[in-house]
Amino acid sequence: MTKTWKLTVAAALMGLALAAAPAVASDSAKPSSGPAGAAVAQQDHGASTGAHVAEVVGEAAHGGEHKGGFPPFNPATFGSQLAWLAVSFGVLYLLMSRVTLPRIGRILEERHDRIARDLAEASQRRAESEAAQIAYEKALTEARGKANAIAGEARNRLNAETETNRKSLEAALTVKLEEAEARISSTKTDALSHVRGIAVDTAQTIVNTLVGTTPGQQDTESAVDQVLSRKAA
Amino acid sequence: MAFRLGSEFVAGVLVGALIGWGIDTVFDVAPWGMLVFTLVGFGAGVMNMLRAAGETGKKSGPKA
Amino acid sequence: MNIDPIHQFEVQRYADLLRVSGVSFSFTNASAFMIGIVGAIFLFLTFATRGRTLVPGRMQSVAEMSYEFIAKMVRDSAGNEGMVFFPLVFSLFMFVFVANVIGLVPYTFTITAHIIVTAALALLVIGTVVIYGFWRHGTHFLHLFVPSGVPSFLLPFVVLIEVVSFLSRPISLSLRLFANMLAGHIALKVFAFFVVGLSSAGIAGMFGATLPFFMIVALTALELLVAVLQAYVFAVLTSIYLNDAVHPGH
Repeated sequence: MTKTWKLTVAAALMGLALAAAPAVASDSAKPSSGPAGAAVAQQDHGASTGAHVAEVVGEAAHGGEHKGGFPPFNPATFGSQLAWLAVSFGVLYLLMSRVTLPRIGRILEERHDRIARDLAEASQRRAESEAAQIAYEKALTEARGKANAIAGEARNRLNAETETNRKSLEAALTVKLEEAEARISSTKTDALSHVRGIAVDTAQTIVNTLVGTTPGQQDTESAVDQVLSRKAA
Repeated sequence: MAFRLGSEFVAGVLVGALIGWGIDTVFDVAPWGMLVFTLVGFGAGVMNMLRAAGETGKKSGPKA
Repeated sequence: MNIDPIHQFEVQRYADLLRVSGVSFSFTNASAFMIGIVGAIFLFLTFATRGRTLVPGRMQSVAEMSYEFIAKMVRDSAGNEGMVFFPLVFSLFMFVFVANVIGLVPYTFTITAHIIVTAALALLVIGTVVIYGFWRHGTHFLHLFVPSGVPSFLLPFVVLIEVVSFLSRPISLSLRLFANMLAGHIALKVFAFFVVGLSSAGIAGMFGATLPFFMIVALTALELLVAVLQAYVFAVLTSIYLNDAVHPGH
């Protein structure tokens, strides 16, 4: 609601501006603006508005301090406003372009540089830490390899030792076995050799018991040998 | 922004009418300068409006 | 209480300094506000950036934001070559912005509600466009008025329209700002009269006055928005027009 209202006011003011603009233009073109202002007033459709503005302009042209009328369109104030606007805006432009903007720009640039520098530093640090990480991992791998090697070596050595121990033990056992076997066989031979004597003795005793006479040592022995050899064969 | 478009249009017509009025006064061809240049101003106002609408529209897009 | 809604736009003479053939260059309330605005802008921006701290405080942030805001606006519209106009656009924006906002404070004077001020600023912009355009591009600048791809029998007409369109720019630029400021202030004042007039008419009038009172509150908020928006629009259009000076022939 307020918007449309405002637009209406604005439109009315624009119309006013349209009415005033030629009046002002003619006023500045011809210092004696009475007839020109009247001509404008006649030409304008809104005769009352035009006449009003022309009146104000006419009044202003006489250099009189005006009361009433519409101040924003009062040309009497234009000169002063323009002059002061030129001075103040000129000063503002100079201050901004020479002092303030370079100042803010420098602050921003410094921050920009600082951020860029910090970023560069950070990325360098990251690269360093990444390198350290890689080195660490490499060392770790190496250590692990070394440990593996040592362990393998130890295992091999132990294996070898066990093997030698086993072999020597086996050898000793074999020796002992052979000794035992030799002993058994010698005992066996021994025993077997005793068997002949016992057989001879037994044969002599048996014959003596059966027959009553003891056969000759020589004969008995040969008979026993005969039997033994037959048995062995 | 509707007000912006309106003022663009009004300004176009205004300048056209002003030029026409100036030509009428200088060359004394009473209604014709005003007539023709108000029409031209109308065209310029429409053009202004289209351009302003385009600027508002493509503000988000990239510009040369 | 002055019941004239136009009184607020009255230029009051403080000191007569110079008079040339009936035109007065006297020091007025308008002059005082112009100088005050310039002083306020410069002092604020200087004070805000006094620390030059790496991590900005609140005020320094405002100063930096305004800088980057306008810089981006100019760069977006007119490209990097357009950045020569950055101080101009920045000054214009700050001047109009501060003038608009200061004008909303009661009892102050709104310099942007005077057509001569807005017209001067708009003519400054267009003058810059024309002078820089010719200085930089010579007659090539005139290509601005000759759009490409138009049939030759239409060309004179189109060029005429383009010229009028170009001439209408300062008018629309100045009228828009002026009319917005003027209309807003008159509306505020009119509602204020309702409040004063009704509340002086007894108890019932007091109650009746609440509606326009809230209207004033709402309107003030709206006007603040308009003040900022119009300064922004002025600066944006300035950079768009300056783009024509940098890159004619679109």
